[in-house]
Amino acid sequence: MSDHQSLMDLAMEVALGLADEAEAAELEARALQDPEAAAALNHARMRLAELDDTATPETLPADMWDRVTLRLDERGSAVGVLPGTVPEFDAETDTILPANEPHAPRSWFMAACTGLAASVMLALALGWVVMTRPDPTVIAVLINDTTGEAVALVEGTEANLTRVTLLGQTAVPEGQVMQVWTKPEDDGPPVSLGLLADNRGTALAADGLPPPGPEQLYEITFEQSGGSPTGLPTGPIHGKGFAKEPL
Amino acid sequence: MPFSPSAGPTHEAMDALNAQMDEDRRLSDLADRIEACALGDRTALRAIMDQEGSRLLGIALRMLRRRDLAEDALQECFVSVWRKAHQFDASRGGARGWITTILRNQCLTMLRKESWEIAESADILERRQDEEVVMDAYGRLDMNSDLRRCLDRLEPPKRVAILQAYVLGYTHGEISGRLQAPLGSVKAWVRRGLIALRECLA
Repeated sequence: MSDHQSLMDLAMEVALGLADEAEAAELEARALQDPEAAAALNHARMRLAELDDTATPETLPADMWDRVTLRLDERGSAVGVLPGTVPEFDAETDTILPANEPHAPRSWFMAACTGLAASVMLALALGWVVMTRPDPTVIAVLINDTTGEAVALVEGTEANLTRVTLLGQTAVPEGQVMQVWTKPEDDGPPVSLGLLADNRGTALAADGLPPPGPEQLYEITFEQSGGSPTGLPTGPIHGKGFAKEPL
Repeated sequence: MPFSPSAGPTHEAMDALNAQMDEDRRLSDLADRIEACALGDRTALRAIMDQEGSRLLGIALRMLRRRDLAEDALQECFVSVWRKAHQFDASRGGARGWITTILRNQCLTMLRKESWEIAESADILERRQDEEVVMDAYGRLDMNSDLRRCLDRLEPPKRVAILQAYVLGYTHGEISGRLQAPLGSVKAWVRRGLIALRECLA
């Protein structure tokens, strides 16, 4: 089979929604640069799109526009994560950062106040769970495929609090941000755990995920500012690794 | 050739032509509106919602089956349209397809995430409803369309597997469960079915 045919077949699989997530993400990323890949994807989607037109149109709820503008007015919210549910604390200094706030307070006083206010909020929100820093049930070391170097340590707890510690400096491309992903199910899609604000280590809380288990995949990708627009990894992989249970 | 009234376009043909021109205009408006979103014009996003919203909500509801989830998907779709508008390139594909892909990806993400939350709720009734939804979509395709013609030529299990994946957002595993067929067979049906479809549609 020619390269063009396999490209077309992969494009059909992606358009159908059944391609392997990594392959789909790779093809979509490639399509942003490569006209041939873009044309293959577009062709496949156009062909199947007729099926979309067989769905019966539905009347929008009256408040739809308000809901959209409300979401647009939120700052820096991670894709797919409800606002305010991602408390962050800096793994290096143990300072707590408020969710969805700029991380560069104007003075030490502001920093102290913000930190204090956020501590109180976080304590109320998460209770003793965070304050006692429960032992992780899984640990993953994320490796960069190109350099072979360990780039991050990921610790996950039963309640899906995920602490990410970056190992060494990371060269984040201009205008991009690191996004943390995991695959709760081997053959399921990657799920975003959140963004690494200011490209520093942090703790991320995720609701609704099953407790992490051994051999669970974790990875960090570079995504556009604000996080992956598709809800799935689109950018290059900075590092990935499988979780192990600490003894 | 001498002019005769019968050689001119009929009313029907003129109407069809006008309808086509209206449609073309609507689609180029859509591309312009996405470009306006990239420049920060929220009224353009509102116009996209007014133009495409109910069609998109219909697709989302068919995939997600719950109205609240479908509305959430639509809301996130418009947020993504706004945030990704700068990536839209009209030379690489149509505006409507671009927006629909964003919605479909949002629905698929939610479905994949939901699958373990909803767990084993699938019962016989739901299975029957799914079959109806899929056959309804298939039945509504224009009989003369290439897609319909090419799907017709597939063996039934391949056709159903492909329709379930696209229309309902099923995974290989879900198709295997619904068709009571081994996962390996389902994967082969989908792969071979897509190759046949690609060749037929070329």
